[in-house]
Amino acid sequence: MAATGGILCSAIVLFSCSKSGSSPNPGGGTGTDPDATLVNLGANIIIPSYQSLATSTVALDAAVTGFYASPAAGTLATAQAAFKSAYKAWEACSGFEFGPAADASLTTHFTNSFPTDTVTIKNNIGGASYAIDGLGNFAAQGFPALDWLLFGNGNDATLVRFTTDSHAAGAKAYLTALSASLKTKVATVNTAWSATGGNYLAKFEKASGVDAGSSLSLLLNAYVLDFDVNLQNYKIGIPIGLYGPSVLPKAPAKVEGYFSALSVQLLVAQVQSIQNIYLGGSGSGIDDKIVASKVLYNGGSLNDAIKNQIGVVLTKMQALPDPLSTGIQNNATTITDAYTEIRKLTVLLKVDMPSALGIKISFQDDDGD
Amino acid sequence: MTMAIKYFTRYRHIAPLAVLRIAFGAVLFISTIRFIARGWVHDFYIVPRFHFPFYGFSWVQPMGSTGMYTLYLVMALAALFICLGLFYRIAAPLFFLCFAYAELLDKTYYLNHYYFVTICSFLLILVPAHRYCSLDSLRKPSLKVTQVPAWTILLFKYQLCIVYICAGLSKLTQDWLFNAMPLKIWLPAKASVPLIGPLLRYEWTAYFFSWAGALFDLSIVFLLLGRPTRRIGYVLVIVFHLLTAVLFQIGMFPWLMMSATIIFFSEDFHTGLIRKTRTLLSRKGAFPEPSTKPLQKLGPQPSPKQAPTQMPDPHPSSKSGSVPTSEPPLYFQTRNPKILFPLLGLYFLLQLVLPFRYLLYPGNLLWTEEGYRFSWRVMLMEKGGATFFYVKDPATGKKFEVNNSAYLTPYQERMMETQPDMMLQYAHILKRQYQQQGIASPEVTVQSFVTLNGNGSRLYIDSTVNLAEEQESWFGHKKWILSFTNNPLR
Repeated sequence: MAATGGILCSAIVLFSCSKSGSSPNPGGGTGTDPDATLVNLGANIIIPSYQSLATSTVALDAAVTGFYASPAAGTLATAQAAFKSAYKAWEACSGFEFGPAADASLTTHFTNSFPTDTVTIKNNIGGASYAIDGLGNFAAQGFPALDWLLFGNGNDATLVRFTTDSHAAGAKAYLTALSASLKTKVATVNTAWSATGGNYLAKFEKASGVDAGSSLSLLLNAYVLDFDVNLQNYKIGIPIGLYGPSVLPKAPAKVEGYFSALSVQLLVAQVQSIQNIYLGGSGSGIDDKIVASKVLYNGGSLNDAIKNQIGVVLTKMQALPDPLSTGIQNNATTITDAYTEIRKLTVLLKVDMPSALGIKISFQDDDGD
Repeated sequence: MTMAIKYFTRYRHIAPLAVLRIAFGAVLFISTIRFIARGWVHDFYIVPRFHFPFYGFSWVQPMGSTGMYTLYLVMALAALFICLGLFYRIAAPLFFLCFAYAELLDKTYYLNHYYFVTICSFLLILVPAHRYCSLDSLRKPSLKVTQVPAWTILLFKYQLCIVYICAGLSKLTQDWLFNAMPLKIWLPAKASVPLIGPLLRYEWTAYFFSWAGALFDLSIVFLLLGRPTRRIGYVLVIVFHLLTAVLFQIGMFPWLMMSATIIFFSEDFHTGLIRKTRTLLSRKGAFPEPSTKPLQKLGPQPSPKQAPTQMPDPHPSSKSGSVPTSEPPLYFQTRNPKILFPLLGLYFLLQLVLPFRYLLYPGNLLWTEEGYRFSWRVMLMEKGGATFFYVKDPATGKKFEVNNSAYLTPYQERMMETQPDMMLQYAHILKRQYQQQGIASPEVTVQSFVTLNGNGSRLYIDSTVNLAEEQESWFGHKKWILSFTNNPLR
C-alpha cells in the first residue's frame, strides 16, 4: 500500500508540474473553489424565487382571511388577484422539487395537482373530516383547489358558495385552511434554504460533482421533470388528448388554472423560469457548464441549440390562444405547433444537456461500469 | 496433445487458489450485503411491475418479497461460506445459482462486473479451492490437499486475461483514443474530487487517462504473468482500480478485480502470505494453528488423491522452497479429464468468440448495442435517450402517447431508452397491457432520440415500425435501428 501511495503521489507531482500548457474548463468547481453555477443558482435564482413565493403566499393568505371576514365582491377580487400572483410565483419554484421542497411536500403532487378533485373538496366542505395537506387529500389542495373555490362557476356563484350556501362556513374554513397550508409550507422551505435558517444553500453549494445526491444531479433531474412531465405532458399533452394512459379525447378542462383562465400566463411564467435557470440570470448558469463541455449539436454548439429552442418555445407560449381551454376546443393549430417545439426542447433538455454534463436523468441509486 | 494435458495437470501448490477463494468470497459477501443494505432487492426486484428477462430466459420469474430477500440472504451466506471454505461443495454452486438467477431476471441491471461474478463463481464450482486453509479441511482433515493440477489455477488467469485484453481492445476506437470520449465529459464533472480533482478540468487529462487506460488493459495481464514485473503490475492494478473507484460510480467492480488478480502471484507468495497470517493469528490466539497430526496420520494411508496416476511435476517443492516443510504433499486428482478438458476448451472458445460477435452486425456497435453485452466493454460511452411510445388502435385510428413511468421504474426506463432490445420488450409489454384493455391489435411505435458521446441527439428507431409485430431472435439483426452516421439530425 505504501508503494501505491508513492506512485499516486509521484503521478500527481508529475501532473502538477506540467499543467502550464492548457487552460482549465470553467464552471467545473473544485474541492476548494465552490462551483460558480451552484453558487449563483442557489443564491440568485432559487432563494429569490422562494422568497417571492413566500411574500405572495403571505399576501394570498391575508387576502383570503379578509375575504373570510367579509365575503363580498371587493374582498373576492382582492383574493383572486393575490391568488394569480402567487400561482405565477409558484411556476418559478416548480423546478426545485428536491431537498427542502421534497421534505416539506411543497411539490407539484401536493401543490399543483390538476384538474382538482371537486368531489373531495365538496365532501370536505360538507362536513367530512379531512387533513388539509394529507396524503389522500393531494388532489383537493394547493393552487388548483383555490382556483376552483375562488373562480369556479363565476363570481356570483362563488359569492353564494361563501355566504348563503348551507355549507358556507365549511367553504370559508376550507379556503383559509388551503391558503394557510400553502403559506406555512412555503415559509418552511424558504427558511430551510436561507443562510440564516436551515442554510440548505451551503449544502447545495458544497455538493458538487455529478453522482447521486450531488446538487447538479438533483437540480437537473427536477428541472427536466418539471419541463418534460409537468409542462409537456400534463399542461398540454393531456388537455389536447395526445398523452394519456388510454385512448382519451381532448380534455380542455384539464388545463392548469382552468377556472381562473390563467393557463397561458402560467405556461409563459414556467418557460421564463426554465430559461432563467438555464442562463443563470446574469450569472453562471447551466449554460456555462454546457459551453465548457464544448459539445456540439447539429454543426453548431449545443448551448446555442438549447438557448434558441427555449426562445422558440417561449415565443410559442406567448402566442397561445387565451384562454387555452377555448383554444383547445377550437383545435387551434398554434397549440399543436407549440407542442412540437416543446417536444424538441424536451429532447435537448432530457438527452443532450445531461449527457454533455455526465448527469443521469431518471436517477435511481445504482452502480455502473 | 498429451503435452498440453501434462501442462494442465502438472501439480502446483494449492495456496493461490485458497487465497483467491478467501479474498473473492469476502468481496462477494460484502457486495451482497451492500446490495441488500442499499435497498436494491426491493427497488430492483420487488417494486417493478414488469421485468426485462434475457432472450430465451423469460421463464425465469422473480419471487415475491420474502422469496427475493431469502434468496439474497442465502446468497450472502453462501458467499461467506465460500470465503471460510465451509461446506464449499454446496456453498459454491448455491451462490452461483442464486446470483445467476437474479441476473437473468432483468437485463436492466446487467453490469460487466455482475457478469464477471457470475462466471467466476461458476469456475469456482469446478475447483477444489476449499481443500486448504479452510474450515472444511479442519472439519474433515481427509479433504485437505496441498497440490492441485495447474488447470485449477490457470482457469482464473485465462479468464482474467480475456477480461482485460477484451476491455483493452474495445478501447481502440477513434472516439476513445482521438476524441478522449467519454472521459472528456466524465472527468471535468469530477473536479471536486480531492487531490487530483483540479487536474481533471484539463482536456489533456482526459486524453492521458484514455491512453493510459487502454494501455493498462492491454498490458496488465502480461505484467502480472511475468515474474519480474508482477509486483509493479499488481501495484498498477491497485492504482488503476482505486482511481476508477474514486472517479466513477462503479460499486464493487474495483474490489472484485483487485481480489481476483491476486491469483497471478506465485505460490511462494501465497504460501508465505498464509504462513504469515497464521503466525499472526495464532500469536493472538484467535485462530488455532491447524494441527498437523491428523495429516501425518493420514500421510501413509493409501488414498486415491495421494496416488496420482499422473506423475506430479518433479520440481514443485524445489521450485517453491517456502512450502511449509511440515506439510507432506497431498495431491488432488482431476476427475474425468476426458470430459472436463473438452468442456473447458469449449467454454474458453465461447469466451473468446462472444466479445467479437459484434463484427457480424452492420453499423456502429456503441450505437446499436448489437453484440455489446458479455464483451467486457467497460465505460465506453456516454449515452442518453428519450423515448416517446405511441399506441394506436387500428380499429378507431386513435393514437396516444404512453406514460412510461406507469409501467417502468425510473431505472428500467433509463436503461430502456438507449437499448433497442429493451424497447422491443417494452413494446410487447405495452401490447399485452392494451390488449387486456380491449384494443385487439394495438400498434406500438416509438419516437426515440439518443445521443452518443456528445454527438447530438438524433432519431434512433424507425418510428414507422410497429414494434408490437417485431420479434426478438437469437443474435438476429434489428433492421429498425436507424444508422448512426447516415442519420440526419432531425
